[in-house]
Amino acid sequence: MAAEADQLRAGPGGVSHPGPAVRGVFSSPALRLAGRRLLAAIPVLWGVTFLTFLVMNVLPGDAAQQLLGANATPAEVRALELKLHLNEPFWVRYWHWFAGTLQGHLGASLTSGQPVTSILAQRLPVTFELLLYTFLISVVLAVPVAVLAARKPGSLADRLSMVVSMAGLSMAPYVLALLLVLVFAVQLRVLPAIGFVPASQSLVGNIKSLTLPALAIGFPLACFYTRLLRADIVEQMQSEDYVVTARAKGVAPWQVLVRHALRNSMFGLLTAIGLNLGTLIGALVIIEPIFSLPGIGQVLLQSIADRDVIVVEAVVLVFALIVVLANLLTDLLYSVLDPRIRYGRPTA
Amino acid sequence: MSAALDRPARAGAGVGGGALLDVRDLRVRFHQGGTSVLAVNGVSFTAWPGRTLAIVGESGSGKTVTCRAVMGLLPPSAEVAGAASFDGTELLGLADRQLRRHRGADLAMVFQDPARSLNPTMRVGTQVTEAIRSHLPLGRREARERAVELMAMVRIPLPGRRFSDYPHQFSGGMRQRLMIAIALACHPRLLIADEATTSLDVTTQAQIMELLLDLQAELGMGLILISHDLGLAASYTDDVAVMYAGGIVEQAPTRRLFGHVRMPYTKALLDAVPRLERQAHSPLPVVGGQPASAKADKAGCSFAPRCPSARDRCHTDAPPLAEQAPGHRWACWFPCEDGGHA
Amino acid sequence: MAAPLPDVLLPPGAPVPAVQPRRHRRSWAQDPEIIVPAAVLALIVGACFLWPLIFPLPPPVGGSVLDSGLPPFSPGHFLGTDPVGNDIFSRILYGGRVSIEVGLAVTLIGLVIGGTLGSVAGYLGGSVDSVLMRALDVLIAFPALVLAVAIAEGLGPSELHVIWALSFFSVPAFARIARSGTLSLHGRTFMLAARLSGTPGRRILLRHVAPNIAPQLVTFGLLGMGVVIILEGALSFLGLGIPDPAPSWGNMIALGQGTLSVQPELVLIPSLFLFTMVLSLNLLGDGLRARWGSQ
Repeated sequence: MAAEADQLRAGPGGVSHPGPAVRGVFSSPALRLAGRRLLAAIPVLWGVTFLTFLVMNVLPGDAAQQLLGANATPAEVRALELKLHLNEPFWVRYWHWFAGTLQGHLGASLTSGQPVTSILAQRLPVTFELLLYTFLISVVLAVPVAVLAARKPGSLADRLSMVVSMAGLSMAPYVLALLLVLVFAVQLRVLPAIGFVPASQSLVGNIKSLTLPALAIGFPLACFYTRLLRADIVEQMQSEDYVVTARAKGVAPWQVLVRHALRNSMFGLLTAIGLNLGTLIGALVIIEPIFSLPGIGQVLLQSIADRDVIVVEAVVLVFALIVVLANLLTDLLYSVLDPRIRYGRPTA
Repeated sequence: MSAALDRPARAGAGVGGGALLDVRDLRVRFHQGGTSVLAVNGVSFTAWPGRTLAIVGESGSGKTVTCRAVMGLLPPSAEVAGAASFDGTELLGLADRQLRRHRGADLAMVFQDPARSLNPTMRVGTQVTEAIRSHLPLGRREARERAVELMAMVRIPLPGRRFSDYPHQFSGGMRQRLMIAIALACHPRLLIADEATTSLDVTTQAQIMELLLDLQAELGMGLILISHDLGLAASYTDDVAVMYAGGIVEQAPTRRLFGHVRMPYTKALLDAVPRLERQAHSPLPVVGGQPASAKADKAGCSFAPRCPSARDRCHTDAPPLAEQAPGHRWACWFPCEDGGHA
Repeated sequence: MAAPLPDVLLPPGAPVPAVQPRRHRRSWAQDPEIIVPAAVLALIVGACFLWPLIFPLPPPVGGSVLDSGLPPFSPGHFLGTDPVGNDIFSRILYGGRVSIEVGLAVTLIGLVIGGTLGSVAGYLGGSVDSVLMRALDVLIAFPALVLAVAIAEGLGPSELHVIWALSFFSVPAFARIARSGTLSLHGRTFMLAARLSGTPGRRILLRHVAPNIAPQLVTFGLLGMGVVIILEGALSFLGLGIPDPAPSWGNMIALGQGTLSVQPELVLIPSLFLFTMVLSLNLLGDGLRARWGSQ
């Protein structure tokens, strides 16, 4: 074994050797990257929670006032404030919340008293499912269309798909939502306009109830990804040397596109997906109320209106966590899929 | 110059008589926006089995475009005219589907920059088997075996292990060997090496050249070397064609050309090569000016603006490429006197 | 023996012509991809701001219930009226003003403040840059809409508050673009020359950096304006933007939601305008990017 290694190192033309066997996801470079990213994410998460707390407290009005309504006397309001600890200075309250969160106690809603964790447990799965469904739609629609368009740039298929995708991404999700309801729920009556059916009750019903909302967000996103991917593929096909090599080998054009160009274009798509996650989540917040889906979006809107800082913090934290984790996942995927990262730089 | 000039004709040279690749009056025009550029203007040459042809020229002389045109690797905006027949089959004008059957199987090409010419996200072994399975009906295991054999043939150590490695895990020289392995996958009869050694260091260059020539001897292939390196041409080839501004300006068997340079351009190229015998600190005799822009279709010899021997006629009439000595063609009204550099 | 030709004989020379057949290099003003969307935008902007000044129009608010629910092409009400009796066409025009004002304001604020911050940070590098990057990371991880909602909610719905809320996110977005643009210029020769010749930082930024990153920023701005307008619509849709009864395309769509099945035009008409506006901005931004991108 050692002799082999020596021969490799001393080989003609300077053969490079990748060092200790570094196959598999759990190789040092990937883990180290993940660790570093997680570490870097912590101050970001802290920053997000701090900012939220700051904003919520800077805004006029507080939960006590909201709860009691406009007719409450100042005394009543004060009493409730004391009860909810709203009279304490900003720093103290933030510290309470922060310390509590680190220990896993996310607190209880100021308005309803319900523990935040139970609210999240109830509502988060719905939002999550919608998120997943939307993401699936956006990718499943984008990839085939982009590939077909990139096949022959300038062809009818290409131009048509570019026009449609340009129109699609100019649509506001909430507008598209209403249009979809008009067509599919009111006119055609194939999909429900509002309401959520849990999967435990009926899988088909569950999917049906989430289809229109997922489309409303997913379609414009898919259009965006289509254009991106198509441009990337076309660029690979037209200006990358390895494509010429593949053609010179006698590989059929379809195969060149899919096995070579598409493979390398996925990275750009991956980055875009990560960057757009924040927009996706924001869109969820608006779309959920339109379809009366019992998700976290509605809770958020209501809590902001109620000045329910605890709930708002928790939800924002969850969102920020999702974004951070998704970006981390993207990075990890990169390092798994891109052999240059996975197997490190050559030594020669 | 090395003793390679005295190399006997390779085994298989002239055997069977038939030319491998016969290019006649090849013309390539690119259309960019509103303008069109004539990149190759009437090029003719022949490649024989077992013999090596060098096509030499500066960047922009059209040498790469010529060979890519033959292989059918130019973008759709290119307009190709003329004839290029491979072993009797006319290649130009063939539908891509039919051309594909020849590409990689009968004619193969090795490119300049192996770092960029290999797909970075695909294992090298797969890139070799892809070349194999595009033409031969082999199963995965058999293709793999053959690929490993090919890798061994190009002298990549431990080919079985390195089959599953990625391009970036190899050094430049190794990558170029991989490119050669890919090109040889189906034992092509003609191999075109487009600046195959340009991006490598001198030692590796020599190794790759030796490899190519050994493989040629073994497989009886025809070899076309595209380069801007005259020294390379002189050392390793049987025939040379010098290109300038889209056309061939001088063409002859290697020994003959370097022994009796005629075209002033070729002479200038030779003169510009630094020599040890020259006096220290003496200025290099470089060729002034820029290479001819392919866009301007000017009258007269394309080299005239830069030619030290240019006279009036050169600026008005373009000299034809004519065989003016046995086996030696040149395109010049006032060629150098016989007795140029050796 | 391998003696390559000396470099002097191998000048940059004519490279193999571009692989893509590029379109004719017609002038700016003749490129349909730029002219058409620009014209549409001009039309919309012109209509929203000038039409009410030139032609008599029923007021966008305070309509009489007696006129409610009139269909399009009714006499005196070109696009009909809403359930409260307001003329839709007039509401569209005035609502458009809001969208345009907000879009323009937010984009300009982002461009100027964000662009400056980003390019300064990119130019100076070091700790200034790191601090900025951290701040940007936080703002980008933050679900933008949430904050916008919170601000709008807290401060009360109004056009100005919407502008503040959205600028919060437009600034970091521009800062990021400006920063990366500036960084990519760093290594270029002319930058090095400018620094070596002792040009003060401010001048370098203004004279050299700004013109070079301007195209990127402008195209980003155009594309971003579309997003801003959609977001303003979203806020108004949620009732957090322009307060009733003042019209905004967003709140018109929200109002129309209730009668979607019976009077779909209440949703469709403002949606169409919103779509056209955003599409034109996107097309214009794309067209300019295609033209300027090859630098």
